[in-house]
Amino acid sequence: MTALPPAAHLAALMSLDGMWPRRARLVLARRSPEAAWEALLDGALARSVPLLRALRGRGPELVQGWAEQARALDVPRLWQRHLQLGIGVTEPRAHPAALREDPAPPTVLFHRGGFDHLDGARVAIVGTRKCTRYGRDVAFDLGAQLAEAGVGVVSGLALGIDAEAHRGALAGTPTAPPIAVVGSGLDVVYPRANDVLWQQVAERGLLLSEAPLGAAPEGWRFPARNRLIAALADVVVVVESHVRGGSMSTVDEALRRDRPVLAVPGSVRSDASAGTNALLAQGAGPVTGVDDVLAVLGCTPGPRRPVADDRLAPDEMGATVLDAVGWQPSTLDQVVLRTAFDVGAVALAVERLIEAGWLVRTGGWLERVPAHR
Amino acid sequence: MLAITASATIAGVDGRPVSVEVHVAGGLPAFTVVGLPDTSCREARDRVRAALLSSELGWPEEKVTVNLAPSGLPKVGSGLDLAIAVALMVALDRVPRDSVTNLGFLAELGLDGALRPVRGALPMVAAMDRPEVVVAPGNHAEAQLVERVQSRPVSSLRQLAEVLRGEAAWPPVPPPRPVATPPPVPDLADVRGQPVARQALEVAAAGGHHLLMVGPPGAGKTMLAKRLPGLLPPLDPGDALTVTRVWSAAGLALAGGLIRVPPFRAPHHQISSVAMIGGGSAAMCPGEVSLANGGVLFLDELGEFPPAALEALRQPLEEGTVRVSRVHGSQTYPARFVLVAAMNPCPCGESGAPGGCRCSDSARARYHRRLSAPLLDRFDLRVVVERPGAADLLSAPVGEGSAAVAQRVAGARSRARARSGGLNVDLRPEELNRVAPLTPGSRFLLERAVTDGRLSGRGLHRVRTVARTMADLDGAQAVSDEHLAAALAHRVDPLGIGVRP
Repeated sequence: MTALPPAAHLAALMSLDGMWPRRARLVLARRSPEAAWEALLDGALARSVPLLRALRGRGPELVQGWAEQARALDVPRLWQRHLQLGIGVTEPRAHPAALREDPAPPTVLFHRGGFDHLDGARVAIVGTRKCTRYGRDVAFDLGAQLAEAGVGVVSGLALGIDAEAHRGALAGTPTAPPIAVVGSGLDVVYPRANDVLWQQVAERGLLLSEAPLGAAPEGWRFPARNRLIAALADVVVVVESHVRGGSMSTVDEALRRDRPVLAVPGSVRSDASAGTNALLAQGAGPVTGVDDVLAVLGCTPGPRRPVADDRLAPDEMGATVLDAVGWQPSTLDQVVLRTAFDVGAVALAVERLIEAGWLVRTGGWLERVPAHR
Repeated sequence: MLAITASATIAGVDGRPVSVEVHVAGGLPAFTVVGLPDTSCREARDRVRAALLSSELGWPEEKVTVNLAPSGLPKVGSGLDLAIAVALMVALDRVPRDSVTNLGFLAELGLDGALRPVRGALPMVAAMDRPEVVVAPGNHAEAQLVERVQSRPVSSLRQLAEVLRGEAAWPPVPPPRPVATPPPVPDLADVRGQPVARQALEVAAAGGHHLLMVGPPGAGKTMLAKRLPGLLPPLDPGDALTVTRVWSAAGLALAGGLIRVPPFRAPHHQISSVAMIGGGSAAMCPGEVSLANGGVLFLDELGEFPPAALEALRQPLEEGTVRVSRVHGSQTYPARFVLVAAMNPCPCGESGAPGGCRCSDSARARYHRRLSAPLLDRFDLRVVVERPGAADLLSAPVGEGSAAVAQRVAGARSRARARSGGLNVDLRPEELNRVAPLTPGSRFLLERAVTDGRLSGRGLHRVRTVARTMADLDGAQAVSDEHLAAALAHRVDPLGIGVRP
């Protein structure tokens, strides 16, 4: 049998049930991964008083369970799977600087893509899964413009804002890689809807997780994921957020690390912007365009490319309807009342505006699309 | 001594003739009822004895056997009391034998000999092959709806005995009891704004299309639904008789005569599936879907109904009838109604707007899982109803009243009937190219809706029927692009759960 690298034993240790990051840190304290694995197999770990004490009451039972699992585990095969998927496993001293120096550093990182993708400036773009069209568009545009300006976009590959920011970062001609931190094992694509995006980020940038292969996206992993996003970013931009939600936990983690937090202002009538507007009131910097973010990073804004709008100009009726929709999600009812045309005429104009790309329909709601896409 | 009288029992919403045979002969005094009587029917024995004795008509100290033929048919209720009592009187020679040959009898007896109304009088009287039927005064209004039968309201057994002996004439028909006027249907003019929902209501009334309204609490969904009966034309005579039969069978029409106003049924969301489609004991009562026949079935808070009760709606929605099978046999009830349903977009109900909901994804998914795609697919009209803004409430012009809309609806219905002999909701796909040919613009709209995944093949057909109804409401010969666009706009995926509209 060829000798296995230390990473193989790390992966094997992390794959044990209940080997959470905090416990792994205790197991790996003053032991190399191979040594920890051997100690687990020969029972030395079960006799380690400091470890059992640190694991509190459940220590003996946990360690015994791990030992039983470890004896049944085919380590070479597990490592083979990591190699096939192109997944690296690293211990703390091999971690990127931003994480090594973190107040709550990760124990073991699973990653697809090299850490050299973290060399440049990085901005986290985060926000709610339940976003509006406005939030999507802003996240996409920011992602695209930052990636073109050579700034890596860090996000969590969740639905909504996260996904849209990375879609933007992959569109056009990016000069910086996308960086994603996820809450499940790197072979567990969650949410499924982001399957394609997930693969693209892994191919062109860096995909990080603290969870071993096969780990389900459990609730407790997401706040931990948010802390890594905050730790990796030089600046955190919140595009849309409700008053409570995952983005707010990212903001707290960023403030704890003295990272600047910027927020995109939104309508005072939109619940999805209530959180970001509150952040602005508390002193977060406003983002009205990519230049605001670049200025905080200390970059000089590049030359602005004129926005090409090749959509067919709406006719008079279409323009009236477009005005009536405004920049808020609107129902057909509201549009009819604002224009005083009859339902059929407005419905036809709406269909034509959707066809020409001026509007989109989300469920029963209409939202206006800006020029960029 | 043998005597035979005619009566009827009820099975589902249909009457079944029953021949009551009474045999009185020597032996130990006893009273036996055979022929599948249910409990209330078996109890006739005590009511009949007390009624005969109170009316001073005597009681035989002999063995009395009552056979209810055909003996295989389950007999339900107390409507056979009178027929048993009269047969006994004949057997005891209290009244002449030939006085009852042309008569049917249908009433429950009080211990004092009074005749009391029974439920289901209309279908039961219709089932009796006798030219005259004796009923309680309270059943006269229903009984007289059967044209070939002369209804003879009589208030007591003693009075009936006098008439049968020829000592008195048939008592005069009692003056009709003042029927409580039904509460007026609220007027559509009260609705401010909501142009899309208003139009959806109008289209539902004109074409018989089922309507789903999704919106937060307080948006006016219930208010809109309650105004739908006011838009429907009065029932035509045939439908009115069917509706009255069903209501009679359910025991709901005892006071009035023919029901001409389309019914509006709004069962509570804790309804069981049996109450929804009918069934129950041997009587097999019609359910809410049948009581709503010819009118509107309104399900408020659709997401809160037990899934079984909702899935049971699929057959009636598809076929216009409902077939209920039980151990005693199976019954088919009419169940052709306009289904109007209202629900919140999600459990928090706050807002279906993008970014507006506060529910967790799993709570939303759970809520939406309660509605199956096949059921949602039955709704031709699905609209989002939002809370009107203050400006809309205060400054929107007063909407059209129900009368004006009802007139348009009647016009559209008669146009549809003249064209295809029915409502547009029943248009078959192969008829559509004849009655609603597509313009190039409409064809393009539909093609795009299908390629975008917004419309299924079935949805395509349904959108075209709705567009046809919209054109009928406008009095237009041809279906224009605007009609089609409006039909598409009335068929959104209001829950955003990816059910192909």
